[in-house]
Amino acid sequence: MTNDPSNINQDQEGVESTIVSEKQSDQGTDLSRRTFFKRFAVGGGAALLGGGATYAAGSASVEGRIAKDYPETNEDFKPFRQKNTTLSYAASPVLAARDNTRMEQFKKLHDKPADYFWPKLFQHFEHNVPYDNSRPGFTQLDGALQHASWMPWANWSGPKGKMLLFGGTGVPNTPPYTWDQSDKHENKHQFTDAKEAADAVRSAGRLFGALRVGIARNDKRWNYDPIYDLTQDKELSWEKDFPFKPKSVIVMVVPMDYDGMATAPSRVSAATAGIGYTQMAVLAGAMKHFMNGLGYNAVGAGNDLAISGAYGIMAGLGEGGRNNCLLVPGYGPRVRICKVFTDFDFEDEYDQPHTWGITEFCKSCKKCADACPSQAISHSTEPSFYPDHERAKEPGYNWSNHIGVKKFHTDAKRCVDYWLETDSDCGACIASCTFNEPDFWHHWFIMAINPFTPKLIHGLMAELHPAFGYGSTQNPEKVKKFWRTGEGMRVNKHNKSTFGTSNIS
Amino acid sequence: MELAQWFCFGILFTLMSAGLAYLSIKVKLSWWVWGALIISCLLILFGLAWAGASFLEGVAQSGAIALICFSGPGILAISWIWKRYIRPQAANLSS
Repeated sequence: MTNDPSNINQDQEGVESTIVSEKQSDQGTDLSRRTFFKRFAVGGGAALLGGGATYAAGSASVEGRIAKDYPETNEDFKPFRQKNTTLSYAASPVLAARDNTRMEQFKKLHDKPADYFWPKLFQHFEHNVPYDNSRPGFTQLDGALQHASWMPWANWSGPKGKMLLFGGTGVPNTPPYTWDQSDKHENKHQFTDAKEAADAVRSAGRLFGALRVGIARNDKRWNYDPIYDLTQDKELSWEKDFPFKPKSVIVMVVPMDYDGMATAPSRVSAATAGIGYTQMAVLAGAMKHFMNGLGYNAVGAGNDLAISGAYGIMAGLGEGGRNNCLLVPGYGPRVRICKVFTDFDFEDEYDQPHTWGITEFCKSCKKCADACPSQAISHSTEPSFYPDHERAKEPGYNWSNHIGVKKFHTDAKRCVDYWLETDSDCGACIASCTFNEPDFWHHWFIMAINPFTPKLIHGLMAELHPAFGYGSTQNPEKVKKFWRTGEGMRVNKHNKSTFGTSNIS
Repeated sequence: MELAQWFCFGILFTLMSAGLAYLSIKVKLSWWVWGALIISCLLILFGLAWAGASFLEGVAQSGAIALICFSGPGILAISWIWKRYIRPQAANLSS
């Protein structure tokens, strides 16, 4: 066969064709490999660019947009008289004895006995109901935590009775929030510009323990006027009694522990609020002395002097929610607010109200209203200028509501009445809020897309929140979980146990 | 732990990109099938990332539902695409 010239040709052709085929195959493999790497690089690059753009858009979204339409007020709006806050009334035997009509309103709330006297209960608030060691959240263990969370010196029988608990009810000029300016430095520190001053104040606030620091102009609309000191049954004037004319209000937000608040309503959630009040006093007190040290007048405030939620909104820290709390992005209502009034002028560095679509979301989500054990929160779809709760139409019933400003109004009397009934600060509306989330990326993702989601999706998101395992209240398992959150605290390798969430499932 | 989670998902994302690039030279698919395939892969990763964060924060229920709601549809869609469009070209995958 090999001698046959034609066979030789055929063989040569066969060999040649095999070689050509192998070359083509190699080229094909090279081409495929090259194409693979090219597509991998282009696809991966495009994905990285897309991911980067999405991250940038999300970051911009959580910054919020300026809310030009806040606040909406009508002709009935005027600054609120502090004497009419529910807490002033609840804590003042004098006010209660003077106005029996209001006490009758309280008695009607839940068929109270004839001798029911709110301030008497409030004087011993958190000590009225015996411990129940068979009921998680209300045992001696929980009660000890509740009582310890307030500063040790914060009790009703302290010097002059003007202590932290009184400050919590809005009494002005208590030791933590003193009006005294005697430690003001004689030399006024001069900043290069207002931005340097604002940055310094925010940095100091962060160091002192603030979660967020905003700066608002002093705004008479949100200041209690007149101020009321229930320990003296005396109304005080901003012009005559306050030690200086404030120009600015530094608004600071104190975080509250996620797992503690998740136990609401219980003595543990009350402890979470209590330690929040203690931290408010430390923070506002420190900032007051910082401003004094710079040579400027300053007075710290907890619940006193002004409406904290409104100032929180004015300082761009959050939006008003259905539960009448300030809802802060990333935390929801799980914060406490303190303020420092000062005569320092921040010029063009004042913050402005912002929106993240939170109030809009509240229109569809009614989880806090559903969870409220005293039915104090409105189920209305839209905010309004006047309260629209069950007994809002009764003459003289709305004395504790700030009318004329568009918001979701609550029946604070029902709310505080439940506090007294359970000997706790409740907190169910905070624990159940859809915006009350631990600090993890997926919750920030929801926060970022919220302003762009339609109303229909808001309703779905609100329903999915409990379905995903968040926001339950009156849940004894949450109490058990809380009492295990200390595990691993020697190392705390997740750094998540402080104010965020534990790593305990 | 969160950083470790992001590192793991970086690896998973790279593997996903490489897998899709490999598939692109082996099979021919119309543009909308590619779109569905990519979205399905991203859904699976999103569900896994959500579940990881939920387990880290101690809310296992959230992680489980995320796997059902996000990763589940992604897996179903990929299975359908595989059966309907990729398996008929299976001979190309091993060549």
